Amino acid sequence: MNDNTLPKRDSISAQHRKTVAGNLIFNILNYLFFTLFAIACFFPFYYLFINTISDNDLVSSGAVKLFPRGIHFGNYISLLNVNDLGSSFLVSVSRTVIGTILMVLASAFVGYLVTKKEMWGRKFWYRFLIITMYFNAGLIPWYLNMSMLGLTNNFMGYIIPSIMSPYNIILVKTYIESIPRELEEAAAIDGAGYFAIFRKVIFPLCKPILATIAIFGAVGHWNSFTDSLILMSGNPKLFTLQHRLYIYLTSSSNISAFMSSGNVTNEMVTSLLNMKTIKFTVAMVTLIPILIVYPFLSKYFEKGIMLGAVKG
Amino acid sequence: MDVSTEEVDGTNKSVPITANASSVKVKKPVEIALRIIIIGLLICMFIPAFNPTHLSALSDKNASLFTTGISYESLSEGFSRALKKGWIEQSVLTMTYIGALITCLGLVTAGIGCAVTLGELRLKRIGGSLGIIGGITGAAGLVLTLVQYPGYVNSKKPDKIEAMIPLGIYVFFAIIALCIIIGIIYLVTLPKVTEKDKYEMAPKFKLFLMFLPFIVLLFLFSYLPLWGWRYAFYDYTPGAELTSDNFVGFKWFAYLFENSATRSDIIRVLTNTLAMSGLGLLTSWMPLAFAIFLAEIKNNRFRRVVQTVTTIPNFISWVLIYTFAFALFSTEGFVNQFLIDAGAYTEPVNFLMGEDGIWFKMLLWGLWKSLGWNAIIYIAAITGIDQQLYEAATIDGAGRFAKIWHITIPELMPTFFVLLLLAIAGILSNGMDQYLVFKNATNKNTIEVLDLYVYNLGLGGSGGMSQIPLSTVVGMVKSLISVILLFAANRVSKAIRGESIV
Repeated sequence: MNDNTLPKRDSISAQHRKTVAGNLIFNILNYLFFTLFAIACFFPFYYLFINTISDNDLVSSGAVKLFPRGIHFGNYISLLNVNDLGSSFLVSVSRTVIGTILMVLASAFVGYLVTKKEMWGRKFWYRFLIITMYFNAGLIPWYLNMSMLGLTNNFMGYIIPSIMSPYNIILVKTYIESIPRELEEAAAIDGAGYFAIFRKVIFPLCKPILATIAIFGAVGHWNSFTDSLILMSGNPKLFTLQHRLYIYLTSSSNISAFMSSGNVTNEMVTSLLNMKTIKFTVAMVTLIPILIVYPFLSKYFEKGIMLGAVKG
Repeated sequence: MDVSTEEVDGTNKSVPITANASSVKVKKPVEIALRIIIIGLLICMFIPAFNPTHLSALSDKNASLFTTGISYESLSEGFSRALKKGWIEQSVLTMTYIGALITCLGLVTAGIGCAVTLGELRLKRIGGSLGIIGGITGAAGLVLTLVQYPGYVNSKKPDKIEAMIPLGIYVFFAIIALCIIIGIIYLVTLPKVTEKDKYEMAPKFKLFLMFLPFIVLLFLFSYLPLWGWRYAFYDYTPGAELTSDNFVGFKWFAYLFENSATRSDIIRVLTNTLAMSGLGLLTSWMPLAFAIFLAEIKNNRFRRVVQTVTTIPNFISWVLIYTFAFALFSTEGFVNQFLIDAGAYTEPVNFLMGEDGIWFKMLLWGLWKSLGWNAIIYIAAITGIDQQLYEAATIDGAGRFAKIWHITIPELMPTFFVLLLLAIAGILSNGMDQYLVFKNATNKNTIEVLDLYVYNLGLGGSGGMSQIPLSTVVGMVKSLISVILLFAANRVSKAIRGESIV
């Protein structure tokens, strides 16, 4: 064998050198591309943040570019005086918490029920559930329906429609089907009914997948903006934080319109001049909860997306 | 999904089947009639035309009994002026509302009774009784509503209030009476309960009843909106009633093509939609490439950091992304300051204004948001590829790119194919969030996609809510085309891969 390769050694090493050079260039370009893309993804967050903590005068004169200057946290404190921000924050937090809990419990229970082959009309009802993923009546009929059900300008309008989430139910169902059936059977022999089996056997075993859908559900609730825009137009007290931010962003009126008139102090006046930083600070407040849950999120989403791929 | 149909069902066995032969002999037709009537009552509860609380011309003609029963606002809304001027007593409205609420509770009780009749004898008796109790409660609520009628007639401005006895009162009284009678017949014909009978229900019905509340939710929020499609066939303005007078058939469908302004709007909006979806389809290979190139990076820590950082944008809302765009690209934004400092130009440019390249800009923001996230499914798929394939290829002398070309890409193709088909099926649905937040006076013509158009036409923008029929028509056509596209995509998938995607 060695004899055979010997004459070719020169050409091989030349080719080898070429491959090494090609690999090197490829690696450099590859690292370069991903570094740049990662910076592009990260920079807006950073830029927004340094603008909110820098001196407001420097921000408005455009002096803050890559590094914060004149660090202070006055903008965050002055948010306390922004009209309606508190109620929006409360609405966003409560819809996220209540909506997510109910959605997770419902998905877990329904996911368990649809694995039960003896259910009356199981196939039909399962299809009844699945079809809703691919077909909807459209925005206007949906709105008219919500208004008919009395869910417009009503906090429950955020919660009740999102309880049933077919996609999450399928994720749970797939997960439950991977749990050994013997566990359920043993509990049934001990005399446990369906609900007891669900509560004592299935639910505890499903925790990983429930954590996954809980985090996705919470992010969805927190980020949701159009439902506030469409359903709650008659009751500004029920606007979500995202909606409030959208209003601030698109509003061309003076910042003082946003402030409760009573509390304008001298310190505030400087920040009043700078509407931009107020907008950015509201955005940061909207962003921070996402950044806090993100580490938990990243732990679960790969699992979630893979389970989603084997749906059906 | 039904791989294990053959397996023995432990839970089924564990529940003893005790229903003895004598108690099974129930008058089936009566039972079925009772169930149908109660279900009919529950359906009538959602039909605005049968709302028994429409005691005045001022009440909202599109509110059903259910709506009135759960929210006082829906009843009092039309009377706000009358209440302010003191034409009508507040207590009359309140009592009407309480009547509606009691009727609703009665009907729900009857509904529960209907569900309980699925059980064995003892439960059947309870179900029948609940049906009767519910019927009586419902009737009591109706009576309470009806005794408010003089309050409407004797109001200070009878010509404005226009008191009337609605059709719904008769309808509900008739059906409820029928329900009570049949309920009594049912109870009488049921055999006597013996010691042996227990409170039992067959497991299949038990499971169904547990599922039922969720079926109701699904029905209310995913199927009931289809009922709203009827607005497409009426000359509807908010507050009006849907009657045979303003029924216009397919007028609005024809209007789409005949009215030149609407037609050009539709063409413009469709162009935008297809352009943006098309750009999305053209770049649908990017997540795949992203995943492959990322997998080529052997430094684990670097790879993890990149993956983490590029995924975050997917989890923030479009409103926040617009804030970023505003911070970076507006007149005072980072890019302008940077370029002016660098001497590229002196006058700042607002990159968010104007319609030049707006499709492309939207595409870039879309990629910024979702490229890293969309790559995850491919990254996971790459880790799932059998390593022996690569080892064998290395032994055969395949280089890095040969391995990518001949192993990685073919292994990822099925996933890519499915996602591509789903993207084609969703070509008309780009959502509205992104375009709504980036929309402004200077780009509104080129940024408006179909979803946003429907929203602007029906709920936002000029003309208030007057365009509801037309926007319903557009939404209807869109939904139907989307479903057809999905089935077509599914067909293609079945033909090529032998697997369905939905």
